[in-house]
Amino acid sequence: MTVFTIWPDDVVWRRVSPRLYWRALVARVLWLLVLGGAAAVAWYGYANEVVPLIAGGLALLVLIRLPFVIRGIRSWGYAERADDLLVRHGLMIRRLSIVPYGRMQFVDVTAGPVDRLFGLATVQLHTAAAASDAKIPGLAPGEAARLRDRLTSLGEARAEGL
Amino acid sequence: MVSTSPAQAEEPLRRLHPLTPLLRGFRYAVLVVAAISWQGYARLGTARWAVAVAVVAVLVLLGSLVSYLVTGYRVVGRELRIHEGLLVRRTRAIPVERLQSAELVQPLLARMFRLAELRLEVVGGSRTEAPLAFLTLAEAVALRERLLGLMTEARRASGAAESAAVGDAGAAVRLAVPAPPSAERVVHVGDNRELFFSQLLRPQWWLLPVGIAIPVFDAVVDQQLGFIGIASAVTAVIGAIQAPVRVLLGDWRFTLATAEDGLRIRRGLLETRHSTVPAGRIQSVVVEWPLLWRAAGWARASMHVAGVRQAEGQQPRASLLPVGRVEQAQAVLAEALPGVALRDIAMSPVPDRAKWFAPLRRRVLGYHLGPAAFSSRDGLLTRRLVIVPYRRIQSVRVRQGPLQRRLRLATVHVDVAGGGFGYSGVAPHVDVTEARQLAVELAERSRAARARPADR
Repeated sequence: MTVFTIWPDDVVWRRVSPRLYWRALVARVLWLLVLGGAAAVAWYGYANEVVPLIAGGLALLVLIRLPFVIRGIRSWGYAERADDLLVRHGLMIRRLSIVPYGRMQFVDVTAGPVDRLFGLATVQLHTAAAASDAKIPGLAPGEAARLRDRLTSLGEARAEGL
Repeated sequence: MVSTSPAQAEEPLRRLHPLTPLLRGFRYAVLVVAAISWQGYARLGTARWAVAVAVVAVLVLLGSLVSYLVTGYRVVGRELRIHEGLLVRRTRAIPVERLQSAELVQPLLARMFRLAELRLEVVGGSRTEAPLAFLTLAEAVALRERLLGLMTEARRASGAAESAAVGDAGAAVRLAVPAPPSAERVVHVGDNRELFFSQLLRPQWWLLPVGIAIPVFDAVVDQQLGFIGIASAVTAVIGAIQAPVRVLLGDWRFTLATAEDGLRIRRGLLETRHSTVPAGRIQSVVVEWPLLWRAAGWARASMHVAGVRQAEGQQPRASLLPVGRVEQAQAVLAEALPGVALRDIAMSPVPDRAKWFAPLRRRVLGYHLGPAAFSSRDGLLTRRLVIVPYRRIQSVRVRQGPLQRRLRLATVHVDVAGGGFGYSGVAPHVDVTEARQLAVELAERSRAARARPADR
């Protein structure tokens, strides 16, 4: 039994977009290219053996982590309940956050360059507590905008501030 | 209430003032040029130095220009939206109700061009989360008026009591002039003798012999007593006893009273301080039992108060009880957090298998769901009881590490405003089923507590 599977039945977990897998894959391929490039330059340009070794090690790490990253993405989930937002994620370290809408201070929608390539955005709900962890990556822009509008309007309706 | 009706969303994105890239870039450019000149002027020669400076200027200007082109804001319904970033695009949506203050700032350079910066503060963060720099003075004033107008309108709409308290957040702990004592009731008067002896029992004093012995040893070995030796001895002594002496001076004649406007605290030997903590601004209270105080039956209590801009000399943590017996702690606690009784707090222990994480602390760890507040206990030498009222819970988190998963344990975090390290509740290594129930229960209780009208 984990933290997630024992949640009450009335909660419908929504998954993040499957395009997040491709985004993770591409980000890692880019990393491998950078590492390979550095190794090639060091080897052919300067006859250096240390840099290719380190780069190879790092590349191996990236490759070994790949299946876990994919499974980690599958672990992301969020649910909008009547009064609070639930966000869960993590494979090794599992996390579940319960953030009441009324505690919302502001909402960020962020999209990096690789994110936009795949039409993804991240929504983050900020409360007055820095530790509150309500970040949902891998949302389609439309869904991100919907979630933002819903969070802000619910937050205003249940305004409590502190 | 719904903020994005299509008609309102039409408002165009507004840019910052076109001079912004010049003004903002200028700051960085000066720094970079200074850095180049410091090291390189002599080595580069005037011609190459000029080229380098020109390149830097162009790059900075280009960067600022790009940042200017992608930054904009608009008011959508009752929200302010700020767009920024070229590569990583971010849209920040801030409901106006959440704005604590809208401050107009005019740095010298900006003033020459009649420009201004609008600093918008939201609660909890120690830095300005939404700076708009730069706008023309007229535009900044107009935007500020508009936001303030929306703010008051929104507050009027959503019941006054709590919002007024939030609006007052700037004065979370304000130094007040000595108020007429008629309207207040004294809850606790500190015993100066107790304060003195309790501060003598703090572990800092044990460092004192070490601080003195090292320079003396040095002097004996070197057969001379130099200035550096004396200076380091003095520094060590001051460093060691600074904390207890500061408490002794600061909390001398400690008096806690309640009045209409909240808790009033008077204290200090050399400098008398009067402060008022408005009711309902206390986020959490910590009661501590240091090891050496337990024989005397002493405890101390402090509170975490949230407000905006805590950096400006306002103390987010303030002492509620410098030293006292449990009954006194109870009396103080009853005023700070109404409905919380120290003696009713009975800890739910953690399972035996938590010993793999905390072999010694296991017996100390525990949590309690009280009628009005959640409390958790930790700490082997200094026992700490953190009490968080349900009304003040910002969010609840459950976290489970890989080893915890093996042992079917999980940790429940109860977050309070302002980050409050050490002032937010943590129930570590609870049975996983219990942790789930606890999280659900906390979410439910905090919802119920928030739904009730503010009683004080």
